Amino acid sequence: MQVRTPFIIGAVMLALLAPGAARAHHSFAVYFDTNKNVTITGRVAAFRFTNPHGTIVLDVTDAQGKVTQWRAETNAPAVLVRRGWTRDTIKQGETITIEGWGSRDGRPYMRLRRALDANGKLIGTAPFGQQDTG
Amino acid sequence: MRLLQAALAAAGIAVASSAAAAPDLTGFWNLAFERVDPPADMIADLPPNTVVLGDTGAAEFPRLQFGGLKLTPEAQAHAENWKPEDEMTLQKVCTPPSIVYSLQGPFPFEIDQTRDALIFRYEYYDQIRVIFMDGRGHPPAEAPHTKMGHSIGHWDGDELVVDTDHIAASTITNNGLDHTDQVHMVERYRLSPDGKRLMATQWFEDPAVLANNGARFIVWAKQPGQHVNPYECDPSFVLEYQGIGHAEGN
Repeated sequence: MQVRTPFIIGAVMLALLAPGAARAHHSFAVYFDTNKNVTITGRVAAFRFTNPHGTIVLDVTDAQGKVTQWRAETNAPAVLVRRGWTRDTIKQGETITIEGWGSRDGRPYMRLRRALDANGKLIGTAPFGQQDTG
Repeated sequence: MRLLQAALAAAGIAVASSAAAAPDLTGFWNLAFERVDPPADMIADLPPNTVVLGDTGAAEFPRLQFGGLKLTPEAQAHAENWKPEDEMTLQKVCTPPSIVYSLQGPFPFEIDQTRDALIFRYEYYDQIRVIFMDGRGHPPAEAPHTKMGHSIGHWDGDELVVDTDHIAASTITNNGLDHTDQVHMVERYRLSPDGKRLMATQWFEDPAVLANNGARFIVWAKQPGQHVNPYECDPSFVLEYQGIGHAEGN
């Protein structure tokens, strides 16, 4: 009979796991800071709806009139379609507000948690995050 | 009579009979985002010197954290030199990970089941995997290695046991810890009594990079009526990443 050494539930439960949105090709935890919440409103310059991630390109104008172009990485469109998104969900030129996790390197880049249209209505059927169901 | 038996065999009667004795894993399975304590006997069945990782699903390890896996000096050095931006290239961004990593991600998969094989179709990178159940062994060591590897399975009571080798080198934790093409993986799948949950332990060993062994406990929920979507990875996503901050203006 084989004697088994006790298995170890890794210290992972205590580790700084990033309970982020569904991952795809690159590590969420490495790129984004779960403690850095970002909310911005701007005009959509482009919307890419391809895997491994969609991208919303947003022109954001500050109080001095300076425009900064932000990019928001979305979950994989394979996931987005289950939340009611299509490639036409966001249109170039419209004003939207996006919320998410900021990049660790401080660049104008974020991971999308949710998007709101100009009327403040949630785009899609549910935000993205810990309760992602794919 | 002999003719009748031959006809029955040809018609697959034996197949149906045998398949009926095994649990039916057929269906669409999506990661269950709920806390499920692993059955004690599934954990007890893991080999010695195994750490159970907690990065299943949406959770991930930050850089240089590996959840209790003990890295060899070579693997540690590799992880310390790993640069995440090196992955964001046109050449690499659509390179699928191996089954060691992709198994636990929060993407769904479908199972088609026959007596002699189970087909696992993963949404993640459109990967497809065959679990041979016909009693064959693994191919010779020099046979090609692939991201899905070569999988042979059998039923141990109500559990599906899958042994996989010939896996091409790839990532383990998506943060700089890579396995070699000598990694070996064993999974044990079990249906919940109501058939609505599929539980698995995923155990792996790779002495070239790990001084201990790793495992994950994963639970999926059955979602009837759904199917995996095409992934069709488009590497031009990288151009968006590379364009960050380059288009600012006044």
